Amino acid sequence: MERLIEILEEIDDGVDYENCTTLIDDGILDSLAIISLVAEIEEEFDVQIPTVEIVPANFNSAKAIWNLVVRLQEEG
Amino acid sequence: MTYTKPIFLVLFLPLVVIAYNLIPQKHRWKVLLLASYAFFWSISGKLLVYLLVTTGLMYVCGLWLNKKQNERNEELKNAEKAQKKIIKQKYVKKQRVILVINSLILLGMIVVLKYSKFLGTNINSLFQIMNLPIQMPIPSFIMPIGISFYTLQAISYIIDVYKEKIKADRNIGRLALFISFFPQIMEGPICRYEETANSLYEGKKTTYKGLTFGIQRILFGLMKKIIIVDRINPLILEIFNNYSNYDGGIMAVGMILYTLQLYMDFSGVMDIVIGIGEIFGVKMPENFRQPFFSKTIAEFWTRWHITLGAWFRDYIYYPVCLTDKCKKLTSWGRKKIGNYYGPLLASSIALFCVWICNGLWHGSAWSYIFFGMYHFVLILLGRIIEPLVKKINNKLHIDNKNFLYIIMQMVRTTILVFIGELFFRAKGLKAGIDMFTNMVSNFSLEQITNGTVLKLGVDIHDFIIIAITVLVIFVISVLKERGISIRESISKKNVVLRWSLYYMLIIAIIVFGSYGLGIVPLDPMYANF
Repeated sequence: MERLIEILEEIDDGVDYENCTTLIDDGILDSLAIISLVAEIEEEFDVQIPTVEIVPANFNSAKAIWNLVVRLQEEG
Repeated sequence: MTYTKPIFLVLFLPLVVIAYNLIPQKHRWKVLLLASYAFFWSISGKLLVYLLVTTGLMYVCGLWLNKKQNERNEELKNAEKAQKKIIKQKYVKKQRVILVINSLILLGMIVVLKYSKFLGTNINSLFQIMNLPIQMPIPSFIMPIGISFYTLQAISYIIDVYKEKIKADRNIGRLALFISFFPQIMEGPICRYEETANSLYEGKKTTYKGLTFGIQRILFGLMKKIIIVDRINPLILEIFNNYSNYDGGIMAVGMILYTLQLYMDFSGVMDIVIGIGEIFGVKMPENFRQPFFSKTIAEFWTRWHITLGAWFRDYIYYPVCLTDKCKKLTSWGRKKIGNYYGPLLASSIALFCVWICNGLWHGSAWSYIFFGMYHFVLILLGRIIEPLVKKINNKLHIDNKNFLYIIMQMVRTTILVFIGELFFRAKGLKAGIDMFTNMVSNFSLEQITNGTVLKLGVDIHDFIIIAITVLVIFVISVLKERGISIRESISKKNVVLRWSLYYMLIIAIIVFGSYGLGIVPLDPMYANF
């Protein structure tokens, strides 16, 4: 989770990722940020994020993104 | 038969609603399916076969994909961790073959029916330029109604099954209704399987709220269509057919009024479609969200024809951005040119694909490709200069939440939309360039101030009626933008006030509507795409 927060801060460091739950709904993460984030997460956590997972519910908070990463890691 | 024709509104639709409600719930979907095929047949006749082929293909390929997924899951149950990846890869390949077969047939049908004339003409022109003595015969086909819409629905269904977002439907009746539902077949909205398939099949009884809300929405759409779209049409036809007779001021009037006409027509039909859905207890996705309040072109396309934009985003933009090559490009770009411009490289490739497809989806002509490229360039430029604009605003202490600043952004975006629509409506790319050049280089208010504009089929009374209607719609849009649900508010008023409003709307349509002898109503504009 800490590394994920670091990745998010590399993309935009002016956001309270620990508490924000509207990263997509409020336009904090736009499509460019999502592309960066997916590329970075895949490299860092050795997972494949399929396009079907790119929905607001999976990216609205750092916790939701982390849950997605953990789930994809478990699915192998 | 179209959604705004009296035969549809006073005969076909009421009969379907009555039959639907008289029949037991488990058979209601059959009424809707029969009505949908009858509606399709009334417009496209035997071309219904294309819709049937599409439905059959969705059914077969969906189940085929499901079968492969089940086989994979069985193999995975007994596999060790090291083998799992290999098994998954093996089945991805098998499923891709099914996906490719399905897409080739679906896209093949639309390419032959919609684009063969355009392709043939351009190939012949190329042969001529190269001085080759070859000329291909140019085929011409009649397109079934709504092919551009239902093909996208069919593709999204199969991709969603492939991605395991949804399970393949074993009920061909439900699938057939999902793809053919008569209110949406002509102009969308482009629905996803999980949005409407089950509620269509469920056959909920029409409720009082559903009926009254549905009728309200239909009346609102009719108001846009009959009072504005048909009334404005003679002037649009005259300006776009005989543009060389007029100065730049008239070109600007034509450009603005055509955009207004297109918006009122398309959003009006969507009001009718969504209203019909409400009567049958089906919530259809919205296709418009006050598009002229957009601050940028990118935002405009999240508010105008929303379901098409969402389709391109989900099935072209993200899949292209997330290909291995694009992901490598993003990682490389972020290291070399930073976090902002790095991902923009892959994004611009995906955006280019989206806008080529968007242009071509609207029609097989260079003017539509230009329309797509125009928006691609505007969106890309917007992205490129965004950090610079932020810097300038910070230096000049401009608050980007300032009301005047936002209004200025909205006006700028609207003007850019107007220009795009000028090329979209013009009779070919050359005519579009001529009209735009005329508007800019020969701009004059003379033909507006000397009354010429009032002699082009729309007189001063028409303009007053149009202006009042637009004002009413503008006020409603402002309220919606502020999150106020007008229909919910009206439904809470007392019965006298509520019905007075309904009657006022009906009377307004009857009194101010443009119909009768000498008036040729315009067929829904997006149905031609």
